[in-house]
Amino acid sequence: MAMPGSPRRRTSLTALLPTAGLLPLVLWQIVFFVVPVALIVGLSVWRRENYRLIPDFTFNNYAAILARPAIWRALLLSAETAAFVTVVCAVLAYPVAYFIAKKAGRWRGLLLVAVIAPFWVSIVMRVAAWRLLLGERGVINQMIMALGLTDEPLSFLLYSPVSTAIGLIYAYLPLYVLPLYAAISNIHDSWIDAAMDLNASPARTFFEVILPLSAPGLVVGAVFCFVFGLGEFVTPALLGGGKQLMFSQVIQDEFQRRLDWPSGAAMAVVLLVLVFASLALSMKWIRRASGEAA
Amino acid sequence: MNRLSFGWALPTYSVVLYAFLYLPIVVIVLFAFDAKSIPGLPLEGFTTDWFAASLGDARLVGSLLTSIRLALLAAVLSTALAMPAAMVLAWRPVRMKSLVLCLVLGPVVLPQLVLGLGLVVLFRAAPDLVGQPAIVLAHTTMTSSYATLMLYSRFLGFRRSYIEAAMNLGANEFVTFREIILPLIAPALIAVLLLAFTDAFGEFVVAWFLAGFTETLPIAIWTSLRQVISPKIYALSAVVILVTLAVSVSAQIWILGQSRRESEP
Amino acid sequence: MTELSPNAVELRAVSKVYGASTAVREVSMEIPRGAFVTILGPSGCGKSTLLRMISGFVTPSSGDVLIDGVSVVGAAPYERDTAMVFQDYALFPHRTVAQNLAFGLRMRKVAKAEIERRVEAMLELVNLSGFGDRRVSQMSGGQAQRVALGRALIVRPAVLLLDEPLGALDLKLRRQMQAELKTIHRDLGLTFVAVTHDQDEALTLSDRIAVMNGGALEQFDTPENLYRRPATRFVADFVGNANLLEARLGADGRVEAQGLPLALFLTPAQRGGRAAGAAVALVVRPETIAVGAAAPESHDGRVEARVEEIMFSGANQQIVGRLPDGRRLTAHQSAALPAPERGANAVFSWPSQSVWLVDA
Ligand SMILES: Nc1ncnc2c1ncn2[C@@H]1O[C@H](COP(=O)(O)OP(=O)(O)OP(=O)(O)O)[C@@H](O)[C@H]1O
Ligand SMILES: [Mg+2]
Repeated sequence: MAMPGSPRRRTSLTALLPTAGLLPLVLWQIVFFVVPVALIVGLSVWRRENYRLIPDFTFNNYAAILARPAIWRALLLSAETAAFVTVVCAVLAYPVAYFIAKKAGRWRGLLLVAVIAPFWVSIVMRVAAWRLLLGERGVINQMIMALGLTDEPLSFLLYSPVSTAIGLIYAYLPLYVLPLYAAISNIHDSWIDAAMDLNASPARTFFEVILPLSAPGLVVGAVFCFVFGLGEFVTPALLGGGKQLMFSQVIQDEFQRRLDWPSGAAMAVVLLVLVFASLALSMKWIRRASGEAA
Repeated sequence: MNRLSFGWALPTYSVVLYAFLYLPIVVIVLFAFDAKSIPGLPLEGFTTDWFAASLGDARLVGSLLTSIRLALLAAVLSTALAMPAAMVLAWRPVRMKSLVLCLVLGPVVLPQLVLGLGLVVLFRAAPDLVGQPAIVLAHTTMTSSYATLMLYSRFLGFRRSYIEAAMNLGANEFVTFREIILPLIAPALIAVLLLAFTDAFGEFVVAWFLAGFTETLPIAIWTSLRQVISPKIYALSAVVILVTLAVSVSAQIWILGQSRRESEP
Repeated sequence: MTELSPNAVELRAVSKVYGASTAVREVSMEIPRGAFVTILGPSGCGKSTLLRMISGFVTPSSGDVLIDGVSVVGAAPYERDTAMVFQDYALFPHRTVAQNLAFGLRMRKVAKAEIERRVEAMLELVNLSGFGDRRVSQMSGGQAQRVALGRALIVRPAVLLLDEPLGALDLKLRRQMQAELKTIHRDLGLTFVAVTHDQDEALTLSDRIAVMNGGALEQFDTPENLYRRPATRFVADFVGNANLLEARLGADGRVEAQGLPLALFLTPAQRGGRAAGAAVALVVRPETIAVGAAAPESHDGRVEARVEEIMFSGANQQIVGRLPDGRRLTAHQSAALPAPERGANAVFSWPSQSVWLVDA
């Protein structure tokens, strides 16, 4: 039963398969991801004269935007909000992640999915719901007044950095639970038992065993929360009101209302630098969390 | 049993947190059934009129259908791009793999605003595509990243010996794919399709930049959010949200169950 | 089948290099048609790599692989007439037992009726009649093993490859499957090449054993030769238990075992053409050693040692003696024989014809 067919044919065919499989996606991402980003970077060194774009290689746009106090205010507000949201999300998400990973038994799969599910609802609908909840005549104010806690509705609830923060916390909480859950469920119960068996109090067990071992999840969750928070647009635009602008709103304003694309592009590049710096700084932790140390 | 135990604190806290996560959804559903025409407490009376009203609103229904059509296209396209790529990344030695991964996963971390603006600039070169084609292209870019990531981990967990056994018994690459790989990853593929659809369906920022005169459902809602919102928006949203939840929950449970079955010997 | 080479598989100086490390080093081997060959060696010695070069999943870096006398280097796995039983069985989970069995035949475009007939026959052969419609996830470990075996056998390959086929089974089931494998091999007359690191399994199952170490083939021989006439020190040590005593060949056919008063006279076959003065190791199997107050007449190798340890294991006892220079000597003898006293001196002795030499 000698085998038919020429063996050489195969070597050339299988050598082509990996390229053929990767090429469409790689090309696609180059055209619709790399090129647009490159265009933004390129635009940021052009200049604008009489509402016309002129090719150039100048850093004047950067100098100009960095000289505007409003830019720094927006940048600071974005960074503050992102940092605040990150911390609150970490604190809120940790106990739930711990509960799902360690206490939920056979419900863990369902509970985990239930945490993430709201994330898939369109951001616009989620924000619309928060407007119903937070408005001056919204659900929360009416409940507080019905309870007699206050006579006047709390006006700072909507159209303020507070409502932006609430909306962002709501949006990113599921994202934070996910890596925390992964990290905590990798902690063996026997390690916890061993610490307690060696007479560590529950508090010491938590701070010396559980918390350090869940650090990768904490860091990865924090990075994504912060990075997404920095660039978030929809939530501040719909909940933040128009008075205190976040950085992303300023960028959009520059592009679409002031039509100053080079300046807007320079701002977008600043945002990109911040995002990728955050990612680069935490790369070590992201690697560890994705299981390379295991 | 001397395990770290928080008694009732942990479950109670978790219940509160889940309540927080589902509060906005509950509120939307509640107001969709309330008779008052300007949503607010106290509830006035039960009605299903708003559902009928939203179905009678041609513009709203039109945007819903547009969203469904565009998201369907993006989901199919991104899964078709992601599947072969994830297979190669998981199974073959790839030169400069981390570079390829960065390229493929970049859209996940890139601020959507920046991607949207970049695409606006790009489509200046092809103004005819602005509108529905541009939205599909943009959403495919975004969802193919998630799809690749999910399928990549599925393929990493796929037992190579199934493939080797098939080839060993005389199946060539294509037959092996058709008879062994495809049936075994079909559930994951469907789950990825559903999640990609959900993601593209709900995306707003990038679509808004590229829409031209096209109106997707999120764009329609955004526009109406500028005025006093009619409860028919909430009625339609309630339906969409419940469908979204059902789809994403079942897709994810499917993935979970699948990976559990695979890990058993 | 006329004019075919008498060898089902032939390896000619096959090597596989992974970057800086060599997994398989210049292995040459001729596997006769109908033989049951086992590849034996410690973990990581290249057994699986060798098997996968035969099946076509690994391309050799150099050398040639012939199946039925035809070079198959460069041919895809599906173009080779081999079938493999995988360690994790790799039964297709979305197919029934019968569909798994039929897979190879379908790929070979065998007619439907013929497939059905052969699947039935195979179910019978592997003792699974009536299990055809079961899902493979419903099979026990031993049953799954038999399905995997049947799926490979049904295509009647030129060579059946088994990578640690019994590794996942518990000891009792393993023994039972070993017997079944042996019967099936005899009944079907196919060529089997199995990988194992269980030397008992290798010794019971095979006609020939290939012992590998560090990627190289140490010896390819019958189980008996491997045991009685090991080619290298590694084989002597790896297959069975052995006392290895450093020694030097004397001019007159005697052995000088470094200070031991040995008076062994070896035949030219035992000396293996080594010149006087060669440094060797004396291989003395524990079961050839007698322990007592005096040596039997026929035992010309004798040393006195202090009895350090006596361990009973039912039918046998293992006696460990320590020589004056600190070396140890282990003897196995029937537990029915009187045991020496621990701590006392005893004579350990063996006949010179049971001794074998390997290069030190
Ligand atoms: N794809 C590969 N890339 C690099 N090195 C490899 C690869 N496959 C095998 N090796 C190396 O080749 C050597 C031999 O591996 P092989 O799997 O053949 O050993 P083995 O004898 O089957 O071991 P075991 O009994 O543990 O199964 C090992 O050192 C292994 O690390
Ligand atoms: Mg192996």
